[in-house]
Amino acid sequence: MTTTALPSVRMTRKGFTTLTSVQARLLLREPAALAWLAVPVVVVLVLGSIPGFRTPQAALGGQRVIDVYVPTCAAMVPLFLALTALPATFASYREKAVLRRLSVSPVPAAGVLGALVTVIAAMAAAGVVAVVAIGALVFDVKAPAHPAAALAGFVLGGAAVLALGLVVAARARTAGAASGLGVPLMVLNFFAAGLYVPVAELPQSLQRVCEFVPFGAVTAIWSGHGPLWQHLLVLAGWTVAGGLAAVRFFRWE
Amino acid sequence: MAVIEVERLHKRYGDEVAVDDVSFEVEPGEIFGVLGPNGAGKTTTVECLAGLRTPDGGRVRVLGLDPTRERDALRQVLGVQLQHSGLPDRLRVREALDLYASFYRQPADVPALLDRLGLTEKAGTAYKKLSGGQQQRLAIALAMVGSPRVVVLDELTTGLDPHARRATWELVEQVRATGVTVLLVTHFMEEAERLCDRVALIDAGRVVAVDTPAALAARAGQQQRLRFRPSAPLTDEELRALPEVTAVTRHGSLVEVTGTGNLVHAVTSLLARRQIIAGDLRVEQASLDDAFVTLTGHAADH
Repeated sequence: MTTTALPSVRMTRKGFTTLTSVQARLLLREPAALAWLAVPVVVVLVLGSIPGFRTPQAALGGQRVIDVYVPTCAAMVPLFLALTALPATFASYREKAVLRRLSVSPVPAAGVLGALVTVIAAMAAAGVVAVVAIGALVFDVKAPAHPAAALAGFVLGGAAVLALGLVVAARARTAGAASGLGVPLMVLNFFAAGLYVPVAELPQSLQRVCEFVPFGAVTAIWSGHGPLWQHLLVLAGWTVAGGLAAVRFFRWE
Repeated sequence: MAVIEVERLHKRYGDEVAVDDVSFEVEPGEIFGVLGPNGAGKTTTVECLAGLRTPDGGRVRVLGLDPTRERDALRQVLGVQLQHSGLPDRLRVREALDLYASFYRQPADVPALLDRLGLTEKAGTAYKKLSGGQQQRLAIALAMVGSPRVVVLDELTTGLDPHARRATWELVEQVRATGVTVLLVTHFMEEAERLCDRVALIDAGRVVAVDTPAALAARAGQQQRLRFRPSAPLTDEELRALPEVTAVTRHGSLVEVTGTGNLVHAVTSLLARRQIIAGDLRVEQASLDDAFVTLTGHAADH
């Protein structure tokens, strides 16, 4: 398409700040916001309140179920936000011609995308911190063996799924189509992060496969399984590949 | 200097020519209409003016700015209401205006704008809960929130009921009254007739004529028609004796006089001299609709 000139318009700082705060309010007004923010917290609280989940399990290498589930529940927040909220919001803006209206204002559509990604990254970070804090303070879940590595894992993992969310956002014409593509990706990551079955209880071969899924790598880093460099490389790979694909396939209208 | 200059604009999508050859100039402070049936190339012309599309040929300037190369500067002085554009469902009226106001260097006063457009009571209402007329009023407000010198309003009243349409027309006149130049794109002849100082008639990507609505209507033919019921007998001969009258027909007690020039004055003077009162008096003049048919050879597709 040679028709729609790419936005090259500069945005004022005030414009970006207002846009970001409006995006945050709009996201929290979505009924689904409850799922992104409340469900992971509730799941941690429910799992932690089951007495059997607070006793060490031989099958989990002497860890308690709650120890294993804290990083998994924390992972739910960025996965919900990056793979469903981001693409569905952006696709609905495209569907409802919100981007078309913005395209005649001094704010480029890229500004909306920037504001949306900023808000989603901030909310995801807040959600991860909340879940980890509840685990540590309420259920005495120990910090990961390598806190710096775990932090790097979550940051890079968040970037990787944001990039994948942007690939979906790049193409989906409607909010429904965005969910159709984003939800399977989210479920795959849920599985690899051990939400349905703890990864340690999976067959060895399947555990290896999970390490190549973004949040499989993130939880592996947290629990210290497998080589750290490999996990970081997997996450960096997804981020770069997703980012390039998003840029390559992006369209505003 | 003209506020908007469009010179031999040409735009195609692949093999399909959307705008073949369009030229017009919009003077400061006027309401200029771009009128034509759906698919005539109106929206593409507007998109070229707004810098959303790059023309394949010709020259476009808005306040002397090239919409493609000087987008940043243009955005600050041009307000645009595009056909088919929306806002997030849950965004509230006041939030939308505050948001768009934050984008501009010289934003309008938002509470005053809300008041002028009758949206003060709806300030806290979500976009999707607004009626069609309210959404259009918000669209005008958003086009005005940057204190623009020129606004482009594309198919502003399409889909509105007659009451909301009239209310919207009044708003457009208010906008012009503040010194803003208005380019109004429409396929409603009546709307152009009511609002526009001058109109460009566009058909199949070409400008058919540019003139005032009255002058365009006059081109459709000089024929006028007068119908009335005389309060006292009046013969056909008396009417035909007037040089302006070309034909007289009768439908029962109703007299129908056709003619040219100052027909209304000639006939009413005669009636006054004879002390006859004209009951049910109707004057029909050619409309823009007639002009469109005359100038293009086919009816404007509503």
